[in-house]
Amino acid sequence: MTATDTPPAGAASASPPRLAHHRESRWYPYALIAPTMITLTVVALIPFLYMGYISLHEARYGQLRDFIWFQNFATLLADPRFWNSMWVALVFVCIAVPIEFMLGLIGALLLSQKIRFRNVLIPLLFIPSMMAPIIVGLVWKTMLAGSWGFVSYNILENFGILKETSIFASPDLALYGIIFVDIWEWTPFMMLTFFAGMQALPVNPYWAAAVDGANPVQIFFKLTLPMLAPLLFVIGLLRLIDAFKVYDTIFILTNGGPGTATESPSVLGYKYTFDFWNIGQSSALAVVIWLIFFIFCNIFYQVAKKRLNVF
Amino acid sequence: MKTVISSPLRDVRASASALAVGAALYGAAVTPAAAWSYKEAAEPYKGTTISILDEVTPLQEIFATIIPQFTEETGIKVNYQLLNHFEVINRGQADMLSGRGEYDAVMAHGVQYGLLLDAGVIEPIDDMMADAALMNPDLDLDDLISPAFESLSKFDGKLYGFLLWNYNMVYWARQDLLGNDAEKAAFEEKYGYPLAPATTLSELYDISEFFTRSAGETLAGETLADDFYGIVLEGINGGTTYAPLWYVFIRNLGGNIFDEAGVPTFDTPEVIEGLKQWSALWKFAPPGQAEYSLIDVPTVMGNGIAAQTIAWSDFVLGIDQPGASALSGSFLYAAPPGTGDGTYSSAGEPSAYVISSASKNPEATFLFFQWAIDKMTQKTFLSGGIGVPIRDSSWDQLITPDNRLAPLYEAMKGSLEGVTAAPKAPRMLEILDVFNRNAQQVGLGQMTPEEGAKAMQAGVSAICNPCFLQ
Repeated sequence: MTATDTPPAGAASASPPRLAHHRESRWYPYALIAPTMITLTVVALIPFLYMGYISLHEARYGQLRDFIWFQNFATLLADPRFWNSMWVALVFVCIAVPIEFMLGLIGALLLSQKIRFRNVLIPLLFIPSMMAPIIVGLVWKTMLAGSWGFVSYNILENFGILKETSIFASPDLALYGIIFVDIWEWTPFMMLTFFAGMQALPVNPYWAAAVDGANPVQIFFKLTLPMLAPLLFVIGLLRLIDAFKVYDTIFILTNGGPGTATESPSVLGYKYTFDFWNIGQSSALAVVIWLIFFIFCNIFYQVAKKRLNVF
Repeated sequence: MKTVISSPLRDVRASASALAVGAALYGAAVTPAAAWSYKEAAEPYKGTTISILDEVTPLQEIFATIIPQFTEETGIKVNYQLLNHFEVINRGQADMLSGRGEYDAVMAHGVQYGLLLDAGVIEPIDDMMADAALMNPDLDLDDLISPAFESLSKFDGKLYGFLLWNYNMVYWARQDLLGNDAEKAAFEEKYGYPLAPATTLSELYDISEFFTRSAGETLAGETLADDFYGIVLEGINGGTTYAPLWYVFIRNLGGNIFDEAGVPTFDTPEVIEGLKQWSALWKFAPPGQAEYSLIDVPTVMGNGIAAQTIAWSDFVLGIDQPGASALSGSFLYAAPPGTGDGTYSSAGEPSAYVISSASKNPEATFLFFQWAIDKMTQKTFLSGGIGVPIRDSSWDQLITPDNRLAPLYEAMKGSLEGVTAAPKAPRMLEILDVFNRNAQQVGLGQMTPEEGAKAMQAGVSAICNPCFLQ
């Protein structure tokens, strides 16, 4: 070894071993995740546990009163309004999310082609998802408000499509109106996320498929869909959870009405909290919703992991 | 295409110059030596900052422009925050109930008093009123409009503030239609009495029916391009729909939703009749009525697609302004329809600032309360010709031959003679939720009035019975 081959003092002999020593320490992984865990504990776990604690109390006007065990839960589960809100959320999720998912996937496939003005289109597609939900609500109220909304008046009423009522004033239509607004708001987000996922797929399998003479349908179902599956499941799950919690647009467009036709669990929870000041009841509602999602997400995860091998 | 007005909140610049003159007059009037002055009373609190949460309406936007006068005179700074109706209720209550004390005072609607009193989070002002150093001896509380003031602020022998915002509802109709000769003749021929602003509920129904026309029919000599509606009312779930329904329809028919002890009485024949008469008007209203809030109703009137309404007078002020609606100047106003014999109940929501128990500056806040309702402040506030009086002595300032809106103020005056605050029920907001939700379903035809009344009675009885604060 020549003098020039000699590593600088300490370069190879001191630092790497010290680093390696740290890495081998049993505390090293915990140290790395500690900031995240501390943050999550402070902003999520402690409030959640406190919420669970409140749900076991008579809590009105922001004041914690008697410990009442599970009475808030019993009252909640016996309330037809709670079950109505769960039904509203179920209908909302079962219609909105699959449509957003399918339209998003189709849109992403179209974007993947070399279509004209793609570079202009992509930023424009971000607009609905970038708008605050309250603004989305106001925009669609201006469009669909009975008798004076731009679309209501110029199209629905003038062409006799909807003259006797308006979308958000009709108990039969209001929920579908809200679903339409949600699809408008979130489909572009799904589209762009799926598009980004498609751009990251490896090209070799596609070349191989082309050599083997696979047609576009076969390529989509045998290559694109399986390779995208982890992304599709994660985005689908997140969107599903988010859709179940829908609040802002309902608050602006119908406030849960007509009657309780669009009263989602989040809207009901808001009323329990800020209209009725029954914090115990609203905490019980939040715990029940969490429990539903905890069970659902676990089942979803296990199915995806074992049967579809996506995680 | 119809004109769409995005919001009834209007430009208050027109009144700014008048306010400047008023402010100058105010300064001149309060400066002369007197036995008691805000300046002297505020000396110990000079430099203090008080936080006040209020509701944003055209009235508060004007009021905000004169608050610097208070600071200039007393040295007490005012952090004056404005939020919308629902936010001021939610945020204000959250602040007081949590004891956080971000606000020294919050504007409280009549429907909130029961909850706030029950929770013990607002302070009576009697002790400060008894303090000669703090209390303006010339405040003249007898001049505050009652029964609104008395029913709002007094409870259990104590006073919890001064009437400040006198929200009330008025009958609002199209003068150009009700005054049209051809329409008048046709109306009289059909109903057997002259066409005039409705003074009874049956007249309200007749006018609604008469003016409901389809596109292609004529209205005041012109062929309609669009459908026209005889009436528009607030109908949204969770809004203030209860106000006209309860006070105008139910009470003028001799009913009430509580008895004197606070026991719910939603299923009485009078309440059912009120629901019947109210819901019968929905067929003459625009198709979107179930989604109309207190903002949509004036918007619809301003767009010119309905003949009449019962609406909050402060929002009327936003529409009957040059530039705000093409129909400005074509409206007429009156007190809401009553029994027809001169005695009636009218819809309103008297409101006032209340001092939070968590306030660290109750004395400085109390001085601000007094200044806000002081005759000179009110004179300045109303000097632009826009406002809702809280003092009987203020009517003379507004009902003048040269005030374009004098007929509106006549209507407000009539309305306020019949306005009382909501009873003090701790769970009033829950009660109104039951009331509104079921009433809306009656209006939409999903329930009969009898079914609606039964559902209301059951729903409210499950919440409280009796419901008033004892």
